[in-house]
Amino acid sequence: MMGKADLRGILKDWRLHAVVFIIVCVTEAIGQFSFKVGPGVILLLPMVYAFIIGLALFFTPLVNEKMAKNAEPLIVLGVTLLIAKIGVTIGPQIEALIAAGPALVLQEIGNLGTIFFALPLAVLLGFKRESIGMTHSIGREPNVGLIVNKFGFDSPEARGVMAVYIFGTVFGAVFLGLIAGFLATTSPIHPLSFAMASGVGSGSMMVAAFPELEDQIVAFAGASNLLSLGTGLFFSIFVGLPLTEKLYTLMSNRKNRKSVTHKGGNPNV
Amino acid sequence: MFKNITEWTLVLGVFGIVATLGNWIGYEVLPWEAIPGIIILIVVSVIGLILEKIVPGNLPAVGYIGLIGIIISLPWVPGSEFVVEWTSKVSILALATPILAYAGISIGSNWADFRKLGIRSVIVALMVFFGTFVGSALIAEIILRWQGII
Repeated sequence: MMGKADLRGILKDWRLHAVVFIIVCVTEAIGQFSFKVGPGVILLLPMVYAFIIGLALFFTPLVNEKMAKNAEPLIVLGVTLLIAKIGVTIGPQIEALIAAGPALVLQEIGNLGTIFFALPLAVLLGFKRESIGMTHSIGREPNVGLIVNKFGFDSPEARGVMAVYIFGTVFGAVFLGLIAGFLATTSPIHPLSFAMASGVGSGSMMVAAFPELEDQIVAFAGASNLLSLGTGLFFSIFVGLPLTEKLYTLMSNRKNRKSVTHKGGNPNV
Repeated sequence: MFKNITEWTLVLGVFGIVATLGNWIGYEVLPWEAIPGIIILIVVSVIGLILEKIVPGNLPAVGYIGLIGIIISLPWVPGSEFVVEWTSKVSILALATPILAYAGISIGSNWADFRKLGIRSVIVALMVFFGTFVGSALIAEIILRWQGII
């Protein structure tokens, strides 16, 4: 994937690195903000400002088309550092993960829910290969890494996963908090099941709704979040992504056939 | 191959410098405290990128990188305490910020394509979270019941 890019030229694009360096300094200096909204928080992180500022700068003379092209391999390589960091975070927790047992491992299967709920919707809304990036997983760092690694950054799949990633970073906790609170009180499913499903973010909300289960909820949510980072990557590689691609091909074939017969209006069919 | 390795290392080095300084400004970790951790992460990444090229099969580099990261930080692997200690000085958010800065610049040139995603992508994103959440809760419910915990 990196074969055609001239990395040496990119390395010498000092203007690009200087612009990014300034963006990073400014956004990290601003720091993070969070607003409490209902049961959750809206999270504004330096990376979100960095994305917006980078995007805005493209439309100024400071950044040109060549720099934008040169930025792509840096994203692909930069994400590998993120994955390495996630790896070394999981290693020390291995015993906790093993102790968490089969419940948490099998729970990963539940994450396939996104494919069955969201992929048909994405195809219905007219998305093409973007829908693969959007719906193969919940779109966190390991999944961004996988998609960018496999398809490159300048691809519809990467645009899809980036959209979900950025939206999820800012609004994910609030949304999960809202639906967790709503479903936990209105559905017959046990609050501990929701705690396991929610990982970080809505754990606090679950505690608010069921204070007598606090310790258990925090433990379940924490273990679940760790696991979804650790197993999420490998589950996406071997199950989530191939399955999404298969289903996508199936669905888009069907859709195409339908629209063809529709337009063709063949009375003999 | 050797050319690849040098270039990956250099590009990751540039990235590492930016991240280290961001780590200093945003998370108050002095650069020389973070540098050993950054170097470890760069080495892991480069090894993963090499393995993707030379090992037959379709496992992407991120698969190898995640796996190596996990292995070298396992408690019973010699030296893992240094890996864990040094890499803990590098905030994951400090790594994400420069990635998203580069991503913003890059998406600028594909802005027409990205904008087309628009409000529809928000609807899909909500369904992604909803689907994952409900799917996971249902599986959890089945297992917790089967284990007799609830």
